[in-house]
Amino acid sequence: MQCDSSVASLQVISPSFVQQHACEERFTQPGREEFTGAGLLLLIVLVLLQGSVLPLGATSSPDTTHNVDNRQVKEEKYNYTKKAFPVLTLDYHHIQAPFEISLWILLASLMKLGEYHVNVTHALVPPDTSSVRHCARELPVDHRGSSRGGAHQTSWRRSPPVLDSRLFFLCLLPPIILDAGYFLPIRPFMENLGTILMFAVVGTLWNAFFIGGLLYAVCQIQPANPSILHKIELLPCLLFGSIISAVDPVAVLAVFEEIHINELLHILVFGESLLNDAVTVVLYHLFEEYSGAGTVTVLDCFLGIISFLVVAIGGVLVGVIYGLLAAFTSRFTSHVRVIEPLFVFVYAYMAYLSAEVFHLSGIMALIACGATMRPYVEANISHKSHTTVKYFLKMWSSVSETLIFIFLGVATVDGPHHWNWTFVTVTVLLCGWLTYVINKFRIVKLTTKDQFIIAYGGLRGAIAFSLGFLLDKKLFPMRDMFLTAIITVVFFTVFVQGMTIQPLVELLAVKKKQEAKRTINEEIHTQFLDHLLTGIEDICGHYGHHHWKDKLNRFNKKYVKKCLIAGERSKEPQLIAFYHKMEFKQAIEMPKKPPPAKPAEKAEKAPSQLPKGREEEIRKILRSNLQRTRLRLRSYNRHTLVADPFEDGFGDLLIKKQKMIELEKKIKDMNNYLTVPAAPPDSPTMCRARLSSDPQSYRAKPESDSVPTIQVDLASPQSPDSVNVMDEFRRAGQQRGGGRGEEDQGLMMRPHKTGEGADGKDPQKLTRCLSDPGPSADEEEDQPFLP
Amino acid sequence: MRFFYSWIDFWIKRLLLTFTMGSRASTLLREEEIEEIKKETGFSHSQITRLYSRFTSLDKGENGTLSREDFQRIPELAINPLGDRIINAFFPEGEDQVNFRGFMRTLAHFRPIEDNEKSKNAAVSEPLNSRTNKLLFAFQLYDLDRDDKISRDELLQVLEKVDVEQKMSIRFLH
Repeated sequence: MQCDSSVASLQVISPSFVQQHACEERFTQPGREEFTGAGLLLLIVLVLLQGSVLPLGATSSPDTTHNVDNRQVKEEKYNYTKKAFPVLTLDYHHIQAPFEISLWILLASLMKLGEYHVNVTHALVPPDTSSVRHCARELPVDHRGSSRGGAHQTSWRRSPPVLDSRLFFLCLLPPIILDAGYFLPIRPFMENLGTILMFAVVGTLWNAFFIGGLLYAVCQIQPANPSILHKIELLPCLLFGSIISAVDPVAVLAVFEEIHINELLHILVFGESLLNDAVTVVLYHLFEEYSGAGTVTVLDCFLGIISFLVVAIGGVLVGVIYGLLAAFTSRFTSHVRVIEPLFVFVYAYMAYLSAEVFHLSGIMALIACGATMRPYVEANISHKSHTTVKYFLKMWSSVSETLIFIFLGVATVDGPHHWNWTFVTVTVLLCGWLTYVINKFRIVKLTTKDQFIIAYGGLRGAIAFSLGFLLDKKLFPMRDMFLTAIITVVFFTVFVQGMTIQPLVELLAVKKKQEAKRTINEEIHTQFLDHLLTGIEDICGHYGHHHWKDKLNRFNKKYVKKCLIAGERSKEPQLIAFYHKMEFKQAIEMPKKPPPAKPAEKAEKAPSQLPKGREEEIRKILRSNLQRTRLRLRSYNRHTLVADPFEDGFGDLLIKKQKMIELEKKIKDMNNYLTVPAAPPDSPTMCRARLSSDPQSYRAKPESDSVPTIQVDLASPQSPDSVNVMDEFRRAGQQRGGGRGEEDQGLMMRPHKTGEGADGKDPQKLTRCLSDPGPSADEEEDQPFLP
Repeated sequence: MRFFYSWIDFWIKRLLLTFTMGSRASTLLREEEIEEIKKETGFSHSQITRLYSRFTSLDKGENGTLSREDFQRIPELAINPLGDRIINAFFPEGEDQVNFRGFMRTLAHFRPIEDNEKSKNAAVSEPLNSRTNKLLFAFQLYDLDRDDKISRDELLQVLEKVDVEQKMSIRFLH
C-alpha cells in the first residue's frame, strides 16, 4: 500500500530522505552562513513534510477510516475481514487541523529565530520590519509548498488553516488588539483623543467615499476595457472604498514598533487604527446591505449615522462593563493566585465576543476592556500573575501577527486572482492623506513632517483582506478583483511603506521616542502643572480636558477604587506597606553573626582612606560606644537616628530580634487557631496591629523591669501616615502596661527600639526571658487543641 | 475631546451672551480697552469678550474687581490642592483686588507659544506667554514667600500637595 512506504519515509527523517527531495527543492542562496543554511534546510524539510503529508491525508483517508473502523470491531463484524493487528498506524486525518496549525506556528517561530541570527551575524543586513521579512521569506517557501500541493489543489483548499475569515476574526485578531489595549498609554491617548477621533472617523469616512467615488469614476471613464470595469456599480465601489480605507492596527503595530518614533505620532496613528474599526464596521454593513438593493436613500444615511454612534459607544460600553467585572473579580483572587491571568484573558475575550454578537465594534470593546481593567487588576493581582499576563499577551499577539502575515502570503500565492491594472493602481495611489484640515484645530500643531509621517504610516492590512474575503460572491461578482486589489494595496503599504518608513524617519529627522522613563522629579512637577491647569480652567469657566480628567480622577479615587481594589490596599499607602514588608523580611533574613563582627562590619563601611592604626582605634571606640548607646537611645532625636539600624549592627539585638520573631511566629500561629482571624497575607501593618492587641503576648512577658525602657523616636523618612500608625501602636502598647511598653514594640519588631541589654550579660538574660514564655504559652495552649 | 467641548461650550456661551448678558458685557468693555488688552496679552477679540463675561459672572459685588472670596467661591478650586496658590498668583504684591487687566495679564501666561510671534515683536519686550515668562510664573507658584528662591520647606510643601507616594509606588513597585 502507498500508506506503508509513506509511513516508512515519514518515520525516519534520514539524510537520504532529505537527499531525495532536496535536489528538486534546494534553496540555493549564495553566501549564507552555515547556521542559517541549516535552519533553512530544516524549514524546507518541515514544509516538505507538510506537503507530502497533505496528499497523504487526502489519499490515505480511506485507510485511516478503515483503521478507525478497525477499532469498532463489535459493530461491524460481518463486514470485517481479519487483519494482523496494526501495531503502528497512521491516522493523520484525526489530527490534521491542529497539526497544521502547530506546524505553521513552529515554522513562523523558527523563521523568527533564524532571522535574528542572520541579523546578529550579518551586520550588513539592513534593519527591517520583522513581519515584512516574514512575508518575504515565506513567499518563496510558500511557492514550494503550494507547488507541491498544487497537484492536490483540492486537499490544499480543504485544509482549514488557509485564511478562514472566522478563524481570523475570532482567534487571530483578539490577542493583538488585547495586547494593544491592555498596554495602551492612557495619558497620551486621552490627551490626543480629539485628533485621533477626527482622524479615525472623519478621515476614514472621507477616504472611503473619496476612494470609492473616484474608483467608480475611473472605471466608468476607462475606454480601453469596456467589458469588465463598466459593470461595477457605485455601491460595490463604495464598499471597496470602505474596506480599503481603514488603517490597520496589526500592520501599524508591526511596523511602528521598530522605528521608535516619538510618542505623539505613534499614538496618533495607532489610536486612529484602533478607533476606525467602528466606522469600518458600520460602512461595511451598510454598503453590503444596500448593494443588493442598489440604492441608498437619505433615511439610510441617517440610520447609518445613528448606527455608527450605537456601534462605537455600545462597543466601548460593553468593554467597560466587562473591564469593571474583571477588576471586581480580581479583588477576591488573593487566595487562588493561579487563575488570576485567566480572568484577565477570558473577560476580555468575552467582551469581544459579546460585542460581536450585536454587531458592535469588537475592537473598541476589547480596547475599552483592557484599558479599564488594567489599573485595578494590577493593584490586585500578585507580581507573578502580572508577569504572566504580560508575557502571555505578548506571546499570543506575536504569534497571531506572524500567522496573519503568513496567511496573507499563502492567500497571495494561492488565492483566486483577477488582476486589473487600472483598478489596482488607482487604489494604491489614493490611500492616505487628509491631515491638513485637522491641524487647524490642534493646540500643539503638527508640523508638515509629522503630517507626512502620519499619512505615510497609514498601513492597510489583514483586516481589509478578511473583510474582502467575507464578501458574498453572488452579490459581488467582482470579488476576486477586489481581493487582488486589496492584497496589492496591503503588500504595497506593508512592504514599500513599511520598509521605507525607517529611512524616511531618519531623513526627515523626526523626533524619536525618548527611551528613558520619566524621573520622579518630572512626574511630580507634571502633576503640579496638571493641578495648576485644572485650576486655571476652572477660573476661566472652561470645561476643558483637564477639568474632566481631574473629575474622573477624583471620582475614581473616591468610589471606584474602594469597590474594585482588594481591601486594605486601596487605603494603605502602598510604598509604606512595602517598606514595612521589606523591613520584616530583612529582619528575618539577617544571619546570626557574633557581635564583634557587626561593629567591624560597620567600621568597614567607613571611608577606607584612614590609616590602619586609626581604624583600630575607631573600631574600639565604636564597639564600646555602641553598647552604651543602647542605654542612651532615649536622648537621641529623630535627625541623628536617620541611619537604618538594622544595617548598622547591633548584633545581639539581631539575635534577640530573631528569637522574638520565632516567638511571635509561634504565638501568631496559635492565635490564628484561636480567636483572631487570619490576617491578609500582604499587609504587615495589620499583622502588627493584631499582635499588639493580643493579650496573649502580654502574659508571655515576665519580669523585665530590670531592663531599661527605651523610648525611641522614629527617625525614618516616612510619610506622616505611617509615623502616626506606629505612634499609635506604641501608645496603645504603653496604655496596657507601662513597663511592658517595649515588649509590644519588641513583638512589633521595630529595629531601632528594644535596645534592651546594655552589655553581654543582659542579652542572655533577655533571651532567656523571651524564650521562657514560649513553653508556658505552649502549655496553656496545649489543652484546647492537639496539634 | 478638548475642542469638541470648547466648540459646544463656546457657541452656547455666545448664544447666551447675545441674548442675555451680551448687552451688559459689551457696554462695560470698550473697544479701545479690548485693543489694548489684545496688544498686551495676545488674546483674540472673541476670547477677550468671553473672558470678560466670565469675569463679570465671578464678580458678585459688581464693582469691576475680583477679591479672593470671589475666587474661592468657585467650587472646583476649593478642592484643588493648589487652589490657594493659584488665587494668590492673580493678586500682585500686597493687593487684595484684581481688575480685569490684571486678570487677563495672569491668564495670558497660559496661551500657547507661537514661534512666529517672536519675530514680529522683536522690538517689544517678550510677550507674556513666552517660555521664560511661563517658567517665571510657575516659579512664583512654588516660591510662596516671594524671596526669589525655592527653599527646602517650600519644595516639601509642594510634594505634600502632589501625590508623591502614589507615583513612587507605581515607579518602584511595578
